Amino acid sequence: MQMENNHHNRNLRKIHISVIGLFCLLCVFQLCEKRQNGNQQKNSGIQITYWCSSNQDEIDLAQYLVDQWNMVNDSIKVKMQPIPASQSAEEVLLAAIAAGTTPDICSNMWPGAMDDFIASGGLVRLDQFPDFVDYISERVPKDLLETFRGPDGHFYQIPWKSNPIMVVYNKNIFRDAGVDFIPRTYSEYIEAGRKITRDLDGDGNFDVWLSHRDTKPIWWQRFFDYYTFYIAASGGQTLFDGSQMIFNNESSVRVFDFFQQIYKEGLFAKTTFVGDAFILGKLATQIAGPWHVSHVEKFRPPGFEYGIFPVPVPDDYKGQVYTFGDFKNISIFGTTKHPEATYAFAKYLVTAEADLKLLEFTLQIPIRDDLTENPLFEDFFKENPNMVYFAEQAPYTRGMDGVSDLKEIFDAISQEYEACAIFNRRDPAVAVENAAKRAKVIMEWNRSR
Amino acid sequence: MRHFIKEIKSSEKSGYLMSMPYVVYFCIFVAFPLAFSFFLIFHKWNIVTPMEWVGLRNFNRLFHDIQFIKSIRNTLVFLAIHIPLQISIALFFAMQLNKKIIFRGFFRALFFLPVIVSGVVITILWEQLYSYETGLLNLIITRFGFARIPWINSPEWAMPSIAIMATWKNVGLYIILFLVGLQGIPRYLYEAAEIDGAKPVQRFFYITIPALNNTMLLVIILSTIGGFSLFIEPFVMTGGGPMNSTLSAMLYIYNQAFYFGHMGYAATLGFFFAFIILVVILIQKKVVERE
Amino acid sequence: MDKKSSIWVYITLAFGGLAFAYPFLWMLSATFKPEMEIAEIGLMSGNFNLDNYRAVFNKIPIGRALLNSIFVSSCVTFSAVLFGSIVGYALARLRFFGRDLIMGVILFTMVIPFQITLIPMYILMVKFGWVDTYMSLIVPGMISTFGILLFRQFFLDIPQDLIDAARIDGCSDLAILFRIFFPLSKPVMITVGILSFMGSWNDVLWPLIVVRVRELMTMPQMVTLFKVGGQAESQIGSQLAAAALLAVPIVIVYTFFQRYFIESMATTGLKN
Repeated sequence: MQMENNHHNRNLRKIHISVIGLFCLLCVFQLCEKRQNGNQQKNSGIQITYWCSSNQDEIDLAQYLVDQWNMVNDSIKVKMQPIPASQSAEEVLLAAIAAGTTPDICSNMWPGAMDDFIASGGLVRLDQFPDFVDYISERVPKDLLETFRGPDGHFYQIPWKSNPIMVVYNKNIFRDAGVDFIPRTYSEYIEAGRKITRDLDGDGNFDVWLSHRDTKPIWWQRFFDYYTFYIAASGGQTLFDGSQMIFNNESSVRVFDFFQQIYKEGLFAKTTFVGDAFILGKLATQIAGPWHVSHVEKFRPPGFEYGIFPVPVPDDYKGQVYTFGDFKNISIFGTTKHPEATYAFAKYLVTAEADLKLLEFTLQIPIRDDLTENPLFEDFFKENPNMVYFAEQAPYTRGMDGVSDLKEIFDAISQEYEACAIFNRRDPAVAVENAAKRAKVIMEWNRSR
Repeated sequence: MRHFIKEIKSSEKSGYLMSMPYVVYFCIFVAFPLAFSFFLIFHKWNIVTPMEWVGLRNFNRLFHDIQFIKSIRNTLVFLAIHIPLQISIALFFAMQLNKKIIFRGFFRALFFLPVIVSGVVITILWEQLYSYETGLLNLIITRFGFARIPWINSPEWAMPSIAIMATWKNVGLYIILFLVGLQGIPRYLYEAAEIDGAKPVQRFFYITIPALNNTMLLVIILSTIGGFSLFIEPFVMTGGGPMNSTLSAMLYIYNQAFYFGHMGYAATLGFFFAFIILVVILIQKKVVERE
Repeated sequence: MDKKSSIWVYITLAFGGLAFAYPFLWMLSATFKPEMEIAEIGLMSGNFNLDNYRAVFNKIPIGRALLNSIFVSSCVTFSAVLFGSIVGYALARLRFFGRDLIMGVILFTMVIPFQITLIPMYILMVKFGWVDTYMSLIVPGMISTFGILLFRQFFLDIPQDLIDAARIDGCSDLAILFRIFFPLSKPVMITVGILSFMGSWNDVLWPLIVVRVRELMTMPQMVTLFKVGGQAESQIGSQLAAAALLAVPIVIVYTFFQRYFIESMATTGLKN
């Protein structure tokens, strides 16, 4: 009997040990991960984690700025990592907030999601730092700064960069097609398109198009067609005024109608391309921001000449052309253990010298009001005359409304846009009406009682 | 006597100890999620802000949600094309493989290859095959003088195209299942029928099909469950478009939960969807078993 | 059926085989071609190069993802086999109160579609603090109810005398399981092992939900995000190269264990 029990215990123990061993292995790995991702440092000093966009240029910029900082600062070390790639950075950030795995500071904050970020309590209130408002007002024009205030009147983001959307065009194609004017209105743009979009090699298919847009109904794709043109057509309005939905108007209908026309005549290519079609000379224009210019500059073949003009507006529009400025800002996360150190680093990121590097590395526009006057930037603009267009457009840009459910609303707009413009199955006025209806339903559903 | 009791007790103790892993697992990863899911249905929550009681509002929303209903319809369209295609192709090739041939192992392995490869690989590959201007399929078609087909660019073709791709991926598995089923049919049945003067077609419908009843049911149920779980293919290939024609129910639920942050609503959708799946499977069971 | 099969059978099979093999061959050759030549029916090209693969390795840490997948899948497989056999043994050969109840529960849970439990499981991961850790990838997969059923089925058929003899010798149940049953269970172990490994390796939805940090992503997840997240920058060659890399490990395993793969899938069919 005694022997039996001993046998029993010994074998059970063996099994228990191997199972515990397996768990230990797992725990060890988890601890290793935690330490890698954690902020502990064996050496003296503070380490902060900085997340930048996953765009290659911005990764290079971030690496440069961080290296410069680390060389000069012994007490505060910065570790930089690109935001984990996913369908959208906002999704990643919100998930990180939910799971408590946020970095100390991130420079890819989208103002449109600010409401969600703030409501989740994940961000540090920036105006608690005594010098914040003064420091920022020196850099950013007052009226633009006000649009970045949070719903409770405080600041949770530092305006960093914007990407005014304009039209880049291929001068060679324009010339070959006999287009000797810069299109300003919808009619002119379509007229240019009719001359340009044609069959070059006689196989019955078009070989050159006016432009191309990704037609997948993903909500952020609309920023570069519908939303940009809507801001231009409405003279600087956005979808909402406060929490009132205002996009159900004449401007939206005109934009839908314009794009429906474009796709009906086949002026924009619908198919997908192998490689970058603009650089390959298949597209005459591209609706894009300065980051696209950087891409074109890098990869263009010899003899490729390009220029820039503002987005087209409805025929009867007069005055300054507004456009969409894809703003990205900097925020400090509430999980940070070193708010002062992180704030110091944040201030460093928006100094004039850092802004110059932003221009040089990424060809994106820093949100500062002395771009064309500050002598520091003079050389840069001399070497990159095309960037002057963007710098001048920058003050006349609009961003996203900070309404929650904005993504879902854009989703709804996307789908009506797809039905109307891409597939020509819906009348523009009806499409806009449908989109507004569904947006209203979305807001109803998600409103708290 | 005491020895006997002690032996039973020791067996019971072992029983409890050894089934403990499953019981623990069940409580944490099955029971709790089910209960929580049921709880979540009556709330609005996006994880980062506090939960809010909304009663039956999620259900109200569900029944007015055109997109969700469309997504279920899309899934049914997928199944309506995928299952018959799957069964006919699998049965056909299984019957060929059942004949006396050399290289049977080679063909079997070849047909089975797409089954084990990740769905991501298949989807990326087929997105290229389906490409309108540069895809392999359209290149071959135009070589024969036909017009290009907008496989994934048109709302009419998109879901059928995904169904074809899914069939290509999974048919190997069902060929194997049918093969096993076919090999279980006794030879003498066919020989007897032949002596009685039955033609091949009659032999097929009166012997083969009834004998495969169980396998047929299995194939249908597995395909159905797989079809209802359709997610990665639309996620990677089309994002749910064009015009929401490939928005599968799972993709819609994923979007609601992890894209828009409506956890409560997504849980409601999930529950409702699971209910539909159960009903469909039960119906299928009844129908096929009656034959 | 006994006569030698006609040539038509072979032709049909050849066509079928071509339909299954050619796309893979095309994909493989496309990954070695320069971008402009991909849109061709043929496989050959004068310009084979490794640029696409180089681009993939430069842009994403795919080697790390491979290691992650291997680590996660191995842990899951090992534990599924271990626990599957332990619980399967308990349900098959031991008598205790509640045994049939557990069996019923297992069968019931197999019918529940995973769609219901997906979101609460995610929330559980958040509450445990397991998001962005290996724990969330491994632990939910550690027990496979399918594995339990397969082991139980197999263990039912082992003769009682073996057990009685071992009992007389004073062996505990665990000893019986490991010393006697295991050596006899090679086929089931391989079946459960292969099914677990394949299921874990190819799973994308769950990693997409619980892991956001690059260092921990599994290989299919990383390739998916590479394609969907736009990093491939519409370079088709790179996308196909990433896909090819993803396919390679499991194809290699498949070529060696091909027979087991097929048989394991067939047996699961029968057991169902």
